[in-house]
Amino acid sequence: MASRPTVNVHSAAGKASTSLPLPAVLTAPIRLDVVQQVHKSIAKNKRQAYAVSEKAGHQTSAESWGTGRAVARIPRVGGGGTHRSGQAAFGNMCRGGRMFAPTKTWRKWHVKVNQNQRRFAVVSALAASALPSLVLARGHRIEQIEEVPLVIENEAEAYTKTKQAVALLKGLHAYADVVKVSNSRKLRAGKGKWRNRRHRQRRGPLVVYNEDNGIVKAFRNLPGVELVNVRRLNLLQLAPGGHLGRFVIWTQGAFGLLDEVFGTFDKASVYKKDYILPTAKITNPDVTRLINSDEIQSVVRPAGPATQKRPWTQKKNPLRNKAVLFRLNPYAKTLRRQEILKQERKKKAAPKKQVKPRSAGQPFLDTLFAP
Amino acid sequence: MSNDLQWLLLRRSNAYIVKRVPEGPVFSKEPGNLRNLHSYKYSGLANSKTIDVKDDNGTIKIVTRKTKASPHAVKSAYGTTSIRPRSGTRRALGIAAASTAKRGYRPDLRTATLARVSALLAAQREPKQAPAKKLRGKKAKALPV
Repeated sequence: MASRPTVNVHSAAGKASTSLPLPAVLTAPIRLDVVQQVHKSIAKNKRQAYAVSEKAGHQTSAESWGTGRAVARIPRVGGGGTHRSGQAAFGNMCRGGRMFAPTKTWRKWHVKVNQNQRRFAVVSALAASALPSLVLARGHRIEQIEEVPLVIENEAEAYTKTKQAVALLKGLHAYADVVKVSNSRKLRAGKGKWRNRRHRQRRGPLVVYNEDNGIVKAFRNLPGVELVNVRRLNLLQLAPGGHLGRFVIWTQGAFGLLDEVFGTFDKASVYKKDYILPTAKITNPDVTRLINSDEIQSVVRPAGPATQKRPWTQKKNPLRNKAVLFRLNPYAKTLRRQEILKQERKKKAAPKKQVKPRSAGQPFLDTLFAP
Repeated sequence: MSNDLQWLLLRRSNAYIVKRVPEGPVFSKEPGNLRNLHSYKYSGLANSKTIDVKDDNGTIKIVTRKTKASPHAVKSAYGTTSIRPRSGTRRALGIAAASTAKRGYRPDLRTATLARVSALLAAQREPKQAPAKKLRGKKAKALPV
């Protein structure tokens, strides 16, 4: 195997200083379906219970009038002196009645996801965040940055001022992503506005640190920027909306810890018991390259002659198509020719004598006009 | 990571897809997509070799992804060839073809590259002045020139 690929560590000015080997997590298999499925389930775990009032639609003493009053047998509000008396109640079809199958607070709000699946999803999302094309496809403005994954020196963890954070992002040419978030801030449509979700905006970079020596406070006021400890990486942040390829900025300490947090393909993780990374079904996913490799091409049989998809041409009706008919019945040609010749002979033969119509004979006329 | 796999991961949803017309063509507006079509061949994201033709203040820039760049590199992975604004159409198209398809760099995109270069050149040209309006009918008779 070739030497392990390395990733440069960038200083605040954007210069590469040292380099680190690429952690094994970032080469894990990327399973879009697993990420989407797990995200869909995990995203449900923050919901708050809601339900209609237990009493709604039942705060009346309505009783059915029974049969014989020429009205439906639905319970009706009793008494008089108000419009409400005599109106139907309780049923889900009634005005002022309860809803059909009233919602309950004990609905199943949370969805359990197997631990291995959750870990698979996180690992997939991390691997996707290390591919420039997928990060670009998610819409992050990373065209000007040096490389993905983007690793910064550890001193950034000790930043305490947002000014320093901005200078760092500008030095890395990653500030464009924050600007994009800032410009995307829009008023939310609907009632969410008065439920503390007034604005909606894009997501910016995710800063992953090893130790918080002030980095959280330095970055947290930048729009769209989120921070997380390496040991607590979360799918909702790594693949927002179930879309792969979040732009992740790692501190050197956090990046170096990845092999410990997630383990490698043959060494178990330190933080997750007995966890080793999922292996890909094929080591080389470039199938075209595999097919065209010498190893495969030297053992495959040579290509045979091109075969026609339909061994015969379109079916023809021999009763209509002369050529097909003659192929099937060679004597038909003679028959036809004889027929044509006969017709010609007939035509050429002296035309028939015209028989002049004679006037009717006397005996006939006598019979005809007999009185 | 192979290009085919990357394409599978981003073909369903990405930030650049444009689906305006139902049942109509699906477009894509990422840089490096010569025909702005959402397809693997023209994708500027999934392919490891891409050609981007853009206009920069009258200079046409051809940005290609370097073949030997690391798969993790972003900015340093791209190289730019520029076509001087004074070179004529034929020269510009020659440079565009020579810097890409003739080198064996995505020869399948030759037509698309040249089409985009010509489109940009045509857009740079000053539009022809509309011919002077001729008077017709009574007005023409009233004002003999």
